[in-house]
Amino acid sequence: MDPSMGMGLVALMGAAATVAGCSEDLESDIGSQSNPNSQVQLAAQVGYPHRVFNKAISGEPPSNAMYCAVGAGVAMMLMSESTIAASPLLAIAVGAFVSALLNGVFSTTSYLGRSASQTRFNQYVYLDVLRNHVFGIMGHAYITAFCIVGLSYIMWAVLPVTHPFPFPVIALIWGLAVGAIGSSTGDVHYCAEREFQDFKFGAGVNASDSGDITRFAEAGLRSSMDNAWFCSKFGGPVTGVAFGLVVFLDNWRSTAFEGWTAVVVGLVIVSLLIIYNRRLELYARKTYGPYPEYAGEIEA
Amino acid sequence: MSDISVVGMLAENWMMIIGIIIGGLCISVGVHFVPVGGAPAAMAQATGIGTGTVQLATGSGLTGLLAAGFMYKALAAGGIGLSEIVLICATGAVGAMIMICVTMLVGNWVYIYGVGTPPASAKVDYDPITGNSQAPYVAPGTVGQGMPTVCFVSGTMGGLLGGLGGSLIYCMLMGVNGDPAISSIFAIGIFVVNAVLPSYNIQGTIEGFHDPKFKRVPKAIVACFVASLLCGIIAVLIPGIGGV
Repeated sequence: MDPSMGMGLVALMGAAATVAGCSEDLESDIGSQSNPNSQVQLAAQVGYPHRVFNKAISGEPPSNAMYCAVGAGVAMMLMSESTIAASPLLAIAVGAFVSALLNGVFSTTSYLGRSASQTRFNQYVYLDVLRNHVFGIMGHAYITAFCIVGLSYIMWAVLPVTHPFPFPVIALIWGLAVGAIGSSTGDVHYCAEREFQDFKFGAGVNASDSGDITRFAEAGLRSSMDNAWFCSKFGGPVTGVAFGLVVFLDNWRSTAFEGWTAVVVGLVIVSLLIIYNRRLELYARKTYGPYPEYAGEIEA
Repeated sequence: MSDISVVGMLAENWMMIIGIIIGGLCISVGVHFVPVGGAPAAMAQATGIGTGTVQLATGSGLTGLLAAGFMYKALAAGGIGLSEIVLICATGAVGAMIMICVTMLVGNWVYIYGVGTPPASAKVDYDPITGNSQAPYVAPGTVGQGMPTVCFVSGTMGGLLGGLGGSLIYCMLMGVNGDPAISSIFAIGIFVVNAVLPSYNIQGTIEGFHDPKFKRVPKAIVACFVASLLCGIIAVLIPGIGGV
């Protein structure tokens, strides 16, 4: 294979990863999975019943690892000569569909179980919330699974030097990584900002305000679709950028360079990221300054 | 399988078991370096990355494992010796470092541009690396937010150790059974074991090597030594049961 073709494939993987990261974060935002779930769950218990979708299937990394591994497993089975020898594109699409169905089952049981267990706090099971949100969650889950199973397939079968791990294991690892990144980056935008939009911008959530989530929208009651709309402006796209960068940079240095050169290139990338983070930190300190409430002796 | 063959297999592969233990200990120590704050960090209520210890350490370490597997295959044709193992481990370590650095950097984007907070640690008055004061930048009612430089560097070191450990375990397993499928799945399993045990030390949040909780590392080393030894013995014996 032409080396430029290999680089093109790596770029394609990066693009797929960017889309996957974005949709993964928005899927978790609609369902309030992972970190934000602690506040959604707490809200009713401290007197704020709401109409936000509440699914705590597990942390995002294990659940996405499972969806992607299932999708890759189904795709691999369909592509096998001993079954129907389906084309890779069709097999990946069907595999992603199966993983979206799995997500739908978990989302439904999770919402019903969570909400039903909070009856004593006047938190009702809203069937319209269930109907309106599950398909949005499944749709995003499908996009995530399709992109990750697709990029795993490229690594496993298409790149000039294919990866030795089994197809579902590669998908499992990337699913785990996208969940870890989504949970670490995009979730913060939803959890620290959108969930507490009633509070002043420019600080984290005061511990005494835990559970007091924003329940009213620009018009009417806030739903989780509103949250996904808000997070799609920043939290989702940056999650996509993060995952796309991880997939692209890691595979680019392995494909374009060999041996110790690839290691040195990786170290240069890491050094540049550390320097950029320092500059970012200085920018934030200069722009925002110390908190006015601070009354200590330490000079700012 | 007779008792003699079990002893024979263990005697034949003792070097591999030691390698697995060293890899497990690298992961165990590496997890303590990763600045994680769990759900409080996701609310910008605590310093660190807003996710769980095991999840982030595993996410970065296994990304490194993918890079290491790729490098192992590329080098396998010429035979795998000590210098090749060093290169594979370095590749895995750098892969994990890239993953965790990008995650921390983009996390800081969200804290700074999305939430409007400067990164600050609540465990130290001054950043041990840059010397910047921290307390005035900690939002009221919180214990810090984001990843200041010391946490970022600590997280990078955590990624290095996690990727190194995972890759070393993979190399050792490949030396035992030679099958990438079995080796990768076993490596993931041993990685998770060694990432979960230290999380009892961390109890949800840790800022990195400057956090007082970091002093608990020796306890995790003892626990992970025992766990990795058992994992190593099982990993050596299972291919034997399969007739290899």
